[in-house]
Amino acid sequence: MPGPLLEVRDLHVEFRLRDGVAKAVNGVDCAVAEGETLAVLGESGSGKSVTAQAVMGILDMPPGRITGGEVVFRGRDLLKLREDERRGVRGREMAMIFQDALSSLNPVLSVGYQLGEMFTVHRGMSRKDAKAKAVELMDRVRIPAAKERVDDYPHQFSGGMRQRIMIAMALALEPDLIIADEPTTALDVTVQAQVMDLLAELQRELGMGLVLITHDLGVVADVADRIAVMYAGRIVETAPVHDIYKAPAHPYTRGLLDSIPRLDRKGRELYAIRGLPPNLTRIPSGCPFHPRCPLVRDVCRTDVPPLYEVEDGRGSACHFWQETLHG
Amino acid sequence: MAEPAGRGAEPVLEVRNLHKHYPLTQGVLFKKQVGAVRAVDGVDLGLAAGETLGIVGESGCGKSTLARLLVRLERPTSGTILYKGEDVTRLSGRALKAVRRNIQMVFQDPYTSLNPRMTVGDIVGEPYEIHPEVAPRGSRRQKVQDLLDVVGLNPEHIHRYPHQFSGGQRQRIGIARGLALQPEVIVADEPVSALDVSVQAQVVNLLEKLQSEFGLSYVFIAHDLSIVRHISDRVGVMYLGRIVETGRDAEIYDHPTHPLHPGAAVRRARARPGGPRPPRADPPDRRRAVAANIPSGCRFRTRCWKARDRCALEVPALAVPAAFRGEDSPAAHDSACHFAEEKHVVPAEDGPGAPVG
Repeated sequence: MPGPLLEVRDLHVEFRLRDGVAKAVNGVDCAVAEGETLAVLGESGSGKSVTAQAVMGILDMPPGRITGGEVVFRGRDLLKLREDERRGVRGREMAMIFQDALSSLNPVLSVGYQLGEMFTVHRGMSRKDAKAKAVELMDRVRIPAAKERVDDYPHQFSGGMRQRIMIAMALALEPDLIIADEPTTALDVTVQAQVMDLLAELQRELGMGLVLITHDLGVVADVADRIAVMYAGRIVETAPVHDIYKAPAHPYTRGLLDSIPRLDRKGRELYAIRGLPPNLTRIPSGCPFHPRCPLVRDVCRTDVPPLYEVEDGRGSACHFWQETLHG
Repeated sequence: MAEPAGRGAEPVLEVRNLHKHYPLTQGVLFKKQVGAVRAVDGVDLGLAAGETLGIVGESGCGKSTLARLLVRLERPTSGTILYKGEDVTRLSGRALKAVRRNIQMVFQDPYTSLNPRMTVGDIVGEPYEIHPEVAPRGSRRQKVQDLLDVVGLNPEHIHRYPHQFSGGQRQRIGIARGLALQPEVIVADEPVSALDVSVQAQVVNLLEKLQSEFGLSYVFIAHDLSIVRHISDRVGVMYLGRIVETGRDAEIYDHPTHPLHPGAAVRRARARPGGPRPPRADPPDRRRAVAANIPSGCRFRTRCWKARDRCALEVPALAVPAAFRGEDSPAAHDSACHFAEEKHVVPAEDGPGAPVG
């Protein structure tokens, strides 16, 4: 197995707000190997996007603050780099794809110009060469008639095509790692599948590491190698994708899987996790999931569960993971 | 649609040949109409008492416009909407108000559909201001608290403001408001799309509980096919302002006959690795048509892999395709395609726990 490309160690991020300190990320540990696809699954407020932003170095600071941890990329702790060094890493070595392509692209510049900018800025290419490169990239992400459309503006493309342009932009400098934050959430179902397929294909072709942030269990199953499930700013379960669907080892993961409507349960009540996701300014004591957990016992209210090793390459932050796994 | 609801039930709501066109104009001072966005372009549907009709379709297919027409937030360009046999499209004033009481709406976005300056009590009780006959002034507070209780909120929170609630709770407030006038029909436009997965299930369960408790009929619009299937008795698939296929949920999901079948989205449905790989979505290179410029004949033909000359000339009717007529098979349901054929979607029966989406 290749060594880790990216390793996040005990990362903590908080936001100072008027009504207190929101602890968005509370000790995240995870690693991505070269060529691996790691899916980070979580609901809104679970800290998945904040973790990604901290790794990319695009966290709004203030109000955000990284209060601890390391982000080791190819042996270097990125959090110790100066901003100008960091800028050299972004784009060239790791790139990000955002959820909303329309607001991530500049509406007054043509897509060809924006794609070409990657080459004029980072590689010092001439405008003309950069434009040729832009066409090449658009071809690569299968935008039909790339040559004719290179001078079009973002609004002239459909949502799916715009997301392809975002992908092209992330690929431009052939980074080793791509972080995709909900890349298909804003798209229609039919288009979602196309964009996901494209992303998976390019990832295989180029052998990049891919971190796929999503709340959609269906998207994950198809493309990920490994899954990390986040809850209240921590990773509560991590496992190879097959294992987690077969036998989840954390009650939260189990609850998420059970709340998907299924054919054999039509007409019956859906399983629903009771209660609400926690308020990040007042995270419950002990295991943050305990107020919603069907297995809750006294120890859960007082002791924060560590990430127990379930088996090689699998972890669960539940005191009663054995019960969950076999229950 | 040929037969509206089945089981001989009298339809509460029946829609015939409904159109909503928005004019496209040119010029600043002297506006001249240069075309129209045909958002809803000939929809027929029926809804029986106590039934749930799911409507699925891509964004831009007109499903939200249809919802707004059904509750008469928009006036249709042509066509009729019959509520218990009475055409509501031409009503106005007092008669319209009486009908509106019975057809209520739940909106998609629980963040923008509640007035941030009103308390929950005022929001849920506002329908009584408009329809005072439902609840005399003195009894309103009690009624509102009962409603909050019914939807699973704490009745003591009547004086709180929307921002003090989470997304799921806000959607419950929206549902309570929809229930206030004891309607018979609720049109829900993407009611759970904005919610987190763990909360979606809670709200879907609530809607089902309310349906059996109050005998409500639902028109449930969503793009999440697994949820639509879970909650619906019948499903209509919409494309560019028209319903192109309709039938019972299993007919649509497992035996689609229209080339635009939800299988495209079933692609996503392989929620477990190793499960059967659903059919591929339609090819990316074909240009999508838009409602301002609808293709002649069959409107799906520009994206359809089966399209032939006939498709450009003749509009296919929404009826049971000739090939399946008289057959007692799940493929014998309404489908607006000249070349309809049954497509077996790989059944999700690779084990008792196979999910649909």
